[in-house]
Amino acid sequence: MSFREKSAWVSFSCLLVFGGFWLRNVIRIEVYNVPDRNPMLAFFSLLGALILTEIVLHIVIAMRDPKEARTPKDERERLIDLKATRVAFYVLMAGGWLSIGTLHLNFDRLRIADSVLGAIIAAELVKFAAQIALYRRDA
Amino acid sequence: MGTTIHNTIRRLRFDRQEMTQQELADRIGVTRQTVNAIELGKYSPSLEVAFRIADVFGVALEQVFQYEAKRGVKRG
Repeated sequence: MSFREKSAWVSFSCLLVFGGFWLRNVIRIEVYNVPDRNPMLAFFSLLGALILTEIVLHIVIAMRDPKEARTPKDERERLIDLKATRVAFYVLMAGGWLSIGTLHLNFDRLRIADSVLGAIIAAELVKFAAQIALYRRDA
Repeated sequence: MGTTIHNTIRRLRFDRQEMTQQELADRIGVTRQTVNAIELGKYSPSLEVAFRIADVFGVALEQVFQYEAKRGVKRG
């Protein structure tokens, strides 16, 4: 497995785990009405943990194959990135329009922010999944 | 598109004392995985990379890549 594919797996897995924690918090607040005293602190804690975990795991996979990690992306890898981003764009657009639609449901600011964040997370997950699928197909 | 591009990279590597995919990749500036994908016909390289591959083996581009148009494809 190439360094780029490992990197896509790391990003996908991290986002899936931390996105899952975020979704769990949202469901607890919205569905079960569990009071959240400081939603911004919880969000930024999760974001910080996600970034830190990604950095550590990327250092680990780069140490296992330092030569490949230092090599810039070639034309095929850039094409894979573009194709994956194109797929994710549709998810982001759909999520963006749905978030605008929440205005008609009289959502408060935090709920609208959560729906936008959900769209961003879903689009990023689709992007990494598409990258993995494209790397696997060419393997 | 209805076209197929074949290549002879595997044979050309064999003829050059079993040049490895990594060696070829290093010489043309791509990753080993990309050379593998080109060799298996799963990825068509840019013209620049195609010319670089031909240059490494010291042969004409047509000796590395062969284009075969499928029948029934309309032109223009």
